[in-house]
Parts: sequence; structure tokens; C-alpha cells
Amino acid sequence: MFIHNVNPSIKAITIILSVLLLALVFDPITPFLFIIWIWFLTIGVAKINWKKYLLYFSPFLIFAVGMFWSNLIFANEPINPNAAITLFGRDFPTEDVNTALSLSLRILSFASLSLLFLLTTNIVHFILSLMQQCKFPPKLAYGILAGYRFSPMIKDELFLIRSAHRVRGVNRAKTLKEGFNQYKRFAVPLLASSIRKAERTAIAMESKGFTGSRDRTFYRQFTVTTKDWIFLLGMVAVLLILIIMSWQLGYFKWYNGEL
Amino acid sequence: MKNWRLKEVIVMATLSVVFGVIYLAFLPIGGVLVGFMGPIGYEPIFGIWFIVSIIAAYIIRKPGAAFISETIAATIEFMLGNALGPILMLVGMIQGIGAEAVFAATRWKIYSLWVLMLAGMGSAVTSFIWGMFQNGYITFAPNYILAMFVIRLISGALIAGLIGKVLSDAVAKTGVLSSFALGKEYKKRKKAA
Repeated sequence: MFIHNVNPSIKAITIILSVLLLALVFDPITPFLFIIWIWFLTIGVAKINWKKYLLYFSPFLIFAVGMFWSNLIFANEPINPNAAITLFGRDFPTEDVNTALSLSLRILSFASLSLLFLLTTNIVHFILSLMQQCKFPPKLAYGILAGYRFSPMIKDELFLIRSAHRVRGVNRAKTLKEGFNQYKRFAVPLLASSIRKAERTAIAMESKGFTGSRDRTFYRQFTVTTKDWIFLLGMVAVLLILIIMSWQLGYFKWYNGEL
Repeated sequence: MKNWRLKEVIVMATLSVVFGVIYLAFLPIGGVLVGFMGPIGYEPIFGIWFIVSIIAAYIIRKPGAAFISETIAATIEFMLGNALGPILMLVGMIQGIGAEAVFAATRWKIYSLWVLMLAGMGSAVTSFIWGMFQNGYITFAPNYILAMFVIRLISGALIAGLIGKVLSDAVAKTGVLSSFALGKEYKKRKKAA
């Protein structure tokens, strides 16, 4: 449960730092090793069910495959056009294959990082922690929390609007233009009703004495302790060690003027 | 944030939530396009991901509306399950800054169709610079990068700018915006007519 209990803001900062570091890497080995490390953390340490994990992870495979082949086909002129790897019966320069592999693994590593965050963090706690640790204005934070509570109602609202249209005999769209008008017919009442709901919520909040001042107390308090800093430093350290390791082995490559 | 009424903050947050859901719903559509066409598949519909900053700024007309609303929408999107996770907050900020810069250039006074379209393009520019870095687009051939950029600019202007304005105007006509800047403008226009 260690990862579950890390302060949400610190966890988010850790992940953003890791992503920024990973974006500098242009070789396939570093992101690959990092993905394995994140999977170990998610499934081994945080004890996330791996079936559930695979379900969340699978959409990113599609994007990664798309990234891989378009990088092969639309790659820039290679510096070393002679070294080639044969794939699907066609020769591709080794460099291009490496870059393509690296960029698609980068997408998968980003996905693993964000799943590590999403599957171990309560979103309400994250917003509360942003307000308490990152000086997020309370007006905005509680506004977001109120809005977040509305999100399940959007589906009900859509169903309601559709039924209302059916009752009045609105037909399904057949042409593209009708299709666009249909979107508008759904979007306008949806937006109007959410704006009304938001206004009512604002009035309710004000009538209960919410001023939005920063000088307030919290029922659920979040603090930053040593273990949070250990998590942040540990994650960045592992990534740096991986980068140094693949550098030592001669794999590491980062962006150098491939324009 | 000090000269904002609570009502405006909550309405902006709610709009962001609605569009956060819509942003998420458009991801699989982009995913299918990307599967067939590669990363350029996102570009024709990329403008949809800028739309809330245009709508919020057009309705509320206060400094920061474009930037903050886009950031919140991105936050909601990743909280509901977008791939990018917390980094998406940063992406939202970057997209929001592009639109906000255009509104700032008019000193938050002019909200004509042209300004809204330019704001959509502003988001396209900043988000593209970020995309080059994050997704390593920089390794593509220059022509391919240019094609992606031009399509994203057009999409930003049309989908975010034009459709954003049409939608907001349609919502203003229902009367729910009567206490916001856009609704007040509508009332004035009605009186004059």
C-alpha cells in the first residue's frame, strides 16, 4: 500500500518529472527497461489486478503501433543509410527502426506511468492535496470537485434529451449536415442544463458560507512526509540509473539535431 | 481569480467537466484515425481539444478563462482515464496559454469570430511545439511535420474557433447565460433591435 499512500501532489510531480526526462531519450532500451520497472511497481508493489491492468493498457498498444509504422515510413533521411534491417520484406535503415521503436516504447512508458498514478490515487484526494500543498485556489478546487460530481449525470442527461427528441418525433440523422445539426441539438440543451446546475450549485455554496478564501480549515488533511520525498527521489534516481546504464552499454541516444 | 464571481468559477469548472468528457470521447475516434494514418490522424480533429478555452473565454470574458478552463478540462480528462495521466495537466496549460495569449493581445476586449479563430490557432501552435517534444515528432521528415502543423492550424481555427462560437451563441439564445458577459451582450442587442 506504499504507493497508494504517497501524497497525491508529490506523486503527480514525480510522474511529470519522469515523463519530461523520458522525452529526452531517443533509444529503445531505456524506455523498455523503465516500463518493466513501472510494471513491477504497479503489479508487484501496488498489487493492482493484472487483468484489469491489461484492459486499461491495451488501447495504448494501438497508438504505439501507429507511431511505429508511421515513423518508419515518414522518417527523416538517415545519417547512416547503409546499415539496414529487413522488416515485412522491406529494408529499413537501422537508425529509423531504432527511433521508431524508441518512440512507440516511449508512448507505452508514458501510459504505464499514468496508469500507476490513476490506479493508485483517489481523484478527490488529489484535488484536495493540490489545494493544500500546491496553493491551488479553493474557489477553483471546490468548483472542480462540484463539476466532477456532475460527470456521471452527463450520461443521464443525454438519455433524457434523446428521449425528449424521440417523443417529439425527431428523426435520426442520415446525411452529414443532419448529423452535425443533431450534435448541436444534443450539445445545446446539455450545455444549458449544466450551466443552470452550476449556477444553482454556486448559490448553494455561497448560502452555506463558502467565501473561497485561502484562510480555511480542512476536514481531510494532507501532508508531505519523508516517505513522499523518498518516492520522488527514488523514482527519478531509478530513471537516471537506467539512462546511465544504457549509456555505459552504448545504447543511450538522445536528440541530436535529427531535423 | 479575485475579481471572479463564484458563479463564474463554478460555471467554468462545469463547462470544463462537460468538455473533459467530450475530449475523452473523441480519443477513440482519434485512435482509429491514428491506427490508419499514423500520428497525422489526430490533426484533422485536433481542434476539438481546444474548444473549451474558446467557449469559456467567449462566455465569461475575463482574463484567465481560456487558460484555466483548458487546464481543468485536461485534468478531468485524465482523471476519467486518459492515457497521458498527470502530464495532461501540463498539456492543457500549454494549449490554454496559446489561446489566452491571443485574448491577451486584444486586452480581453474583442471577442469577434476572427479573434476566436486566432485563439484556436494559438492553441494549435503551442500544442504543436509541445507535441514535437513529447512525441518526438521532430524525427519525422520536415514536409510531414509541416503538413501536420498546417492541418492542426486549420482544425484549431474551424473546430475550436468557429464551432465554439456557434455553440456558445446557440446556448446564449436559450437565456441561461443572462448573468454572464455573453448573455448580457445578447440582451443589449435585443433591446437595440
